[in-house]
Amino acid sequence: MPPRLPGKPTGLVLPFAAHQLTTTNVPLRMFGIKSITSPQPNRFNSGPDLPLLKSTPAAALERKLNSLPLRTGAIAIKKGMTAIFDPETGERTPATVLQLDRVQVISHKTLEKHGYYAVQVGSGWKHPSNVTKALLGHFSANAVSPKRHIYEFRVRDEKGLLPIGQIINADWFQEGQYVDSRSNSKGKGFQGGMKRWGFAGQDRSHGVSLTHRSLGNTAPGQGGGSRVYPGKKMPGNMGNEQNTVQNLRVLKTDPENGIIIISGAVSGPKGCVVRIQDAIKKAWPQIQKAAIESSTESSADPTA
Amino acid sequence: MIQLKTLLNCIDNSGAAVVECVNVLKKKRAGTVGDRIVVVVQRQRNFDTGIGVSAANKVRRGDIRHAVIVRVKKEMRRPDGSYLKFDDNACVLINKSGDPIGTRMSG
Amino acid sequence: MAALPPLTRQLGCLRPFMRSHEFIQQTCRRTITTKYTPKPAPVDLPKNLPPIFYSQLPDRLRPDFKPKPFKIYPPPPSNAKKCKDPLTATTEAQLAVLDPTGERKALFDYRRSRRSVKPGDIIRVTFKNGDPFAGVVLNIRLRGVDTACLLRNQFTRVGVEMWVKVFSPNVEGVEIVQRTEKRKRRARLYYMRNPKHDVGSVENIVKNYMRQKASIGGVKGTANKKARS
Repeated sequence: MPPRLPGKPTGLVLPFAAHQLTTTNVPLRMFGIKSITSPQPNRFNSGPDLPLLKSTPAAALERKLNSLPLRTGAIAIKKGMTAIFDPETGERTPATVLQLDRVQVISHKTLEKHGYYAVQVGSGWKHPSNVTKALLGHFSANAVSPKRHIYEFRVRDEKGLLPIGQIINADWFQEGQYVDSRSNSKGKGFQGGMKRWGFAGQDRSHGVSLTHRSLGNTAPGQGGGSRVYPGKKMPGNMGNEQNTVQNLRVLKTDPENGIIIISGAVSGPKGCVVRIQDAIKKAWPQIQKAAIESSTESSADPTA
Repeated sequence: MIQLKTLLNCIDNSGAAVVECVNVLKKKRAGTVGDRIVVVVQRQRNFDTGIGVSAANKVRRGDIRHAVIVRVKKEMRRPDGSYLKFDDNACVLINKSGDPIGTRMSG
Repeated sequence: MAALPPLTRQLGCLRPFMRSHEFIQQTCRRTITTKYTPKPAPVDLPKNLPPIFYSQLPDRLRPDFKPKPFKIYPPPPSNAKKCKDPLTATTEAQLAVLDPTGERKALFDYRRSRRSVKPGDIIRVTFKNGDPFAGVVLNIRLRGVDTACLLRNQFTRVGVEMWVKVFSPNVEGVEIVQRTEKRKRRARLYYMRNPKHDVGSVENIVKNYMRQKASIGGVKGTANKKARS
């Protein structure tokens, strides 16, 4: 059927197209079947009820709202392992001894400036002649001595930003609370697939020759066809990568010597840097409010 | 560490001498002291009582029975960090309701 | 259009003659597009410049310019310097609670103390919650608060071995029942697990010792030395 032309001017029928008509003066042909729904000005789905997009920094912040600790953590040095006996029950708990050495808040990361809240913390001491000028400027601008180790600890909001220059000691953590520890595992060097990924290897005998610990097939038998899938588990450098151990209980703290004893093991060799922060999978420790308040009060003195 | 095919000494007077584990109950791992297992009687005990073997023995070779492990070679850890281990694996036969089949235990 | 390429091609033979002019051409072209100006040589400041004019110079050119040094702040007092070996410190702190007199430590420190338990001795350990355990010492592990000894005995002709954590609060007392006759030449007496070397049950020795102790009426822990001789 040939399309019918309308009898009257089309601009009245289709107001949305009026400007087109007026600007270009192209005669608009009307077809017999008209759409009931009004055309959408935007081809993307938008509206007030739609959920927030998941790939924006704002969405990431909202997503992490419940899993970000309220207060900052501390940088510790692993000193070794021992065991703690409970004198009443006689229970023995394997434990790791950590030491905090001159842990101090260096600077802050704020939502306005950096897009998230975090506390930059440093520990130890480094001779100024071994520090780059850029870092020296950073330290001197914040009135902090040069630090050997610098790490950031994310916090949920600005309430968790400890004042700059505040010293974090072992009493920052309460006995009995849970912490997460983050440290680099012991480096194992370049390792094969059996040690690195737990591959089964091949037979000792049955005609296997010189390939007892080899990788085996990497592409066709695994669905790759003529290529190797990205991320294929292969030999390579093993260890010396960050490992988080969650929910370690703080058994004892000794603020005088900066010693924290936490239950269980922590990745890495003796002397490695361990970052500990309130466990995100346990209730936040009860002290935090009091501690933050008291710390802000006490911090007024050293900075002044 | 009692698992499939482990041979255990039976230390009661039910008549079994050596039994073989065929299953560890309510566990996906190896059994230890106190665990219930299913066993097959492999060797009977000979009592020098004058009575016939069949009369004294409540179980026979090839019987499938439940048992409780009482000694294991694998060391057991205590909460205070001490370990205890025995030189053999041993068990006591029980019936399905949990009562011992034998009347005495030796050791 | 068709006639043009042959024409240019014919003219192409003149190119070598033009080549000598290329350099001139290039320089000409450059002067048209970009104007080369050499970097100005730094002009020396007049000597004996009166200090009144310093303010007109940029900072770095002033004769009295010195880069402002960073203010280096002193570090706070160090915990690591105060307590160089936290591991020993924690061990000692624990031993102060678990073994205040240091008696237990001396009893097992077989490398230093002469009167201590040695591999091959028969000792009896009493626990707070449970039966006492007696046996031959096969092994002593000196590891601070984790110090332990391995005891071996036989019950109903079945060997039993027990690792006892010496400083465990569950251990009430340790008594030396019998010293080894000759000093053992090994620190780890695992060969005693073999039937050939196994001492078997120490039940009778311990029973004798207990009877002797009861007759003397000795106090627990101190009587062992008398009973031994």
